Amino acid sequence: MASFAELRAAADAAWAAVDRPQKPQVAVSIATCGNAWGAEATLARARALVQARGLECEIGITGCNGLCFVEPMLTVTWPDGVRVLYGKVTPERVEGLLEQTIVRGERGGELAVGTLRGSVPGVAPIEEHIFWRGQVRHLMAVCGIIDPENIDHAIAAGAYQGLSRTLAMSQDELIKLINDSGLWGRGGAAFPTGRKWDFLKVARRTPKYIICNADEGDPGAFVNRNLMEGDPHPILEGMISAGQASGAEIGYIYIRDEYPLAVARVQQAVRQAHDRGLLGENILGSGLNFEIRVVRGAGSYVCGEETGLISSIQDSRGMPRIKPPFPANAGLWGLPTNVNNVETLANVPLITRNGADWYRQRGTEKNPGTKMVSLSGDIERVGVLEVPFATPIKAILYENGGGVPPGRTLKAIQPGGPLGGILPKEGIDLVLEPEPFRAFGVLMGSGGLILCDDTTCIVDLCQYFSWFAEDESCGRCTTCHGGTQRMTEILRRVQDSGGRMGDINLLHLIVDTLRWSNCVHGQAAPTCVQNCLKNFLDEFLTHIQERRCPAQVCRGLIRYEVIPERDTEATAGAAICPTNAIKESGGHYAIDQGLCIKCGACKERSPAAIRVVDAMARPRVTALPEPLVPLVAAPAPAAGH
Amino acid sequence: MPDFKVLQRCRELLAPFEPDQGDLLAALHAIQHEFGYVPADAIPEVAKKLRMNASAVFGALSFYSELRTTPPPRNQVMWCSGPACRLKGGDNIRLVFETVLGVGMEGETPDGALGLHLGQCNGTCEAAPQIWYNGAVRGRLQVADAVELARRLKAGDYQL
Repeated sequence: MASFAELRAAADAAWAAVDRPQKPQVAVSIATCGNAWGAEATLARARALVQARGLECEIGITGCNGLCFVEPMLTVTWPDGVRVLYGKVTPERVEGLLEQTIVRGERGGELAVGTLRGSVPGVAPIEEHIFWRGQVRHLMAVCGIIDPENIDHAIAAGAYQGLSRTLAMSQDELIKLINDSGLWGRGGAAFPTGRKWDFLKVARRTPKYIICNADEGDPGAFVNRNLMEGDPHPILEGMISAGQASGAEIGYIYIRDEYPLAVARVQQAVRQAHDRGLLGENILGSGLNFEIRVVRGAGSYVCGEETGLISSIQDSRGMPRIKPPFPANAGLWGLPTNVNNVETLANVPLITRNGADWYRQRGTEKNPGTKMVSLSGDIERVGVLEVPFATPIKAILYENGGGVPPGRTLKAIQPGGPLGGILPKEGIDLVLEPEPFRAFGVLMGSGGLILCDDTTCIVDLCQYFSWFAEDESCGRCTTCHGGTQRMTEILRRVQDSGGRMGDINLLHLIVDTLRWSNCVHGQAAPTCVQNCLKNFLDEFLTHIQERRCPAQVCRGLIRYEVIPERDTEATAGAAICPTNAIKESGGHYAIDQGLCIKCGACKERSPAAIRVVDAMARPRVTALPEPLVPLVAAPAPAAGH
Repeated sequence: MPDFKVLQRCRELLAPFEPDQGDLLAALHAIQHEFGYVPADAIPEVAKKLRMNASAVFGALSFYSELRTTPPPRNQVMWCSGPACRLKGGDNIRLVFETVLGVGMEGETPDGALGLHLGQCNGTCEAAPQIWYNGAVRGRLQVADAVELARRLKAGDYQL
């Protein structure tokens, strides 16, 4: 069996061959985001061209560095070590780019995004790119650099080095190291990781289990996916350390069904680690055993809740259970279990490799380290980045992300997934830490930030999140599945111009009642509505009292019309109407309201001739008939919430 | 009568799986990968191999949104229900596909050629709003683009 030093030496040699290569290395970023833009076709085209024209270069792959807004991406590494990132390299552009870089040796060009190493005249270093600024890329250090399907690259980048040092530690020493680092769970609950491992360590029954929660069901959060597809080995390494600390010898990685590439890459990483003696029996000769099995989900949001996940692995529906008992006492098959998030586990090797003091250099006293964040919604630049805790949200959203599109204004920020709540625009002044978010009544969550501009309707957004909570409810407790159903019905009725003043109190009542659900799904489902009733009450009142949607989104409250003065100009709009509702008579167009489904296609095609009007608008009544206070006091948050 | 070819193939596919190891999801995926769905005849086979009740197998099968108990349509439009897509007109896109194709979510055309499926966000929000057509992302759709796609599908142009 090879020692770690031998593994590392071999890995260094393999990595050097592409890092300081004999001939230029072209690496196409193959990840789910890039593939959505044709990266696989870019790769195929590049390979075909090299074959057909005998180009002097090698073609390989990498993961995604987080700059999803310039997909498809590829990097070129030259023999002198200079590495340049090119973006928007569609299959049609590959030939031109290879001609420019490989044939003519020109390293800049209009597709160059930045230099990753070395310098090229006319190309700025990537650190100066607006999306990269302020980032501290420890977890993402080699995402987009190494080939995630090659364990040698990972080992050369430092994977398993920390493990090789800490394998000799006692369980208590290792747990102390993690405690000293201040690492806490990145899945949203923010529980101290060392303490969690300690609960598992003191549990007496065996076997014990470490489960990696890679379900990442929060829409808008794709940070775990980025790590699994770009650099999976630190996750495995973190699990092995968790096993060592707690006495668990079996690990499960539960990956959601919607991430097939992540499933494939993690499965491959497990196999490769096994082959190198880094998994299995007697890891690196230490006597430690640890096996990892990968489980692929099948589409269920509550399987991201730790007890739902456990149920799902356990040959069953993924229905969450009431806690206590907590998984550390009774988890998988009733045995002691820890469920840790992907990002939490990926942080462990940083600590075992560099020490707790090093780790604490970033972030704050209470929240050390970094957090990966994914940006989406009404934002200029969608992508994944990694920043230290306490970074101002404004910097992340407005500098890295580029803010809302031109001509629009910020309305709300949606953090932490569908159960995270909604921040009003004042939330832009927060910093990235769980405490300030909680003070605003929202959860920082697992790292997704969705930006909402003034074209967003808050009532529609609330209805969406209510619907999501209802659709994904496991159904066990009436409180949750009935409460979310009722909440969604009421919000839909408000959107359809049937809102009643009593609805505000009704929603408050449902919000308060849902807090009594059996698990966090139901408990947190009303957070969004609760935030919005507080921060956007006026918008609710406008919908209910004035029968008007300020953003003109709610189809029950709007009408599409041909502008009378321009009623000869709606030809394109009429042609695109899916229900043929725009009738023409003598060259003049008019919309048959009986057929119109209010989809908006006509306005896209004939913007000058079509307008949206408030169909039901009426003046607001100034004296409100009912007090707008919650009918019952909110209970204290339930355990585990 | 059970289809014996299906039973035989199921037994082959289920051979590597064992009870009480967390193999149910993998077993169901293996069968769906083969047949495109989990046939009713497969359920007692899974139950037998994993030493579970058939009703528990069916309970799990019907719980997960990506597992099917009926054959899939030959072509599928999967609509992204995620919030980033919603903010950019995703709900109107759903409305357009349902209206033009005449099917609701999880429905399919009578000839089984085309179906609509509700999909969850997988984080390609750069392409919002989007659908997947037979697994490939069609992103940055205006509602008008969705109308054009839906019309081509309605006309039988499944190559898109």
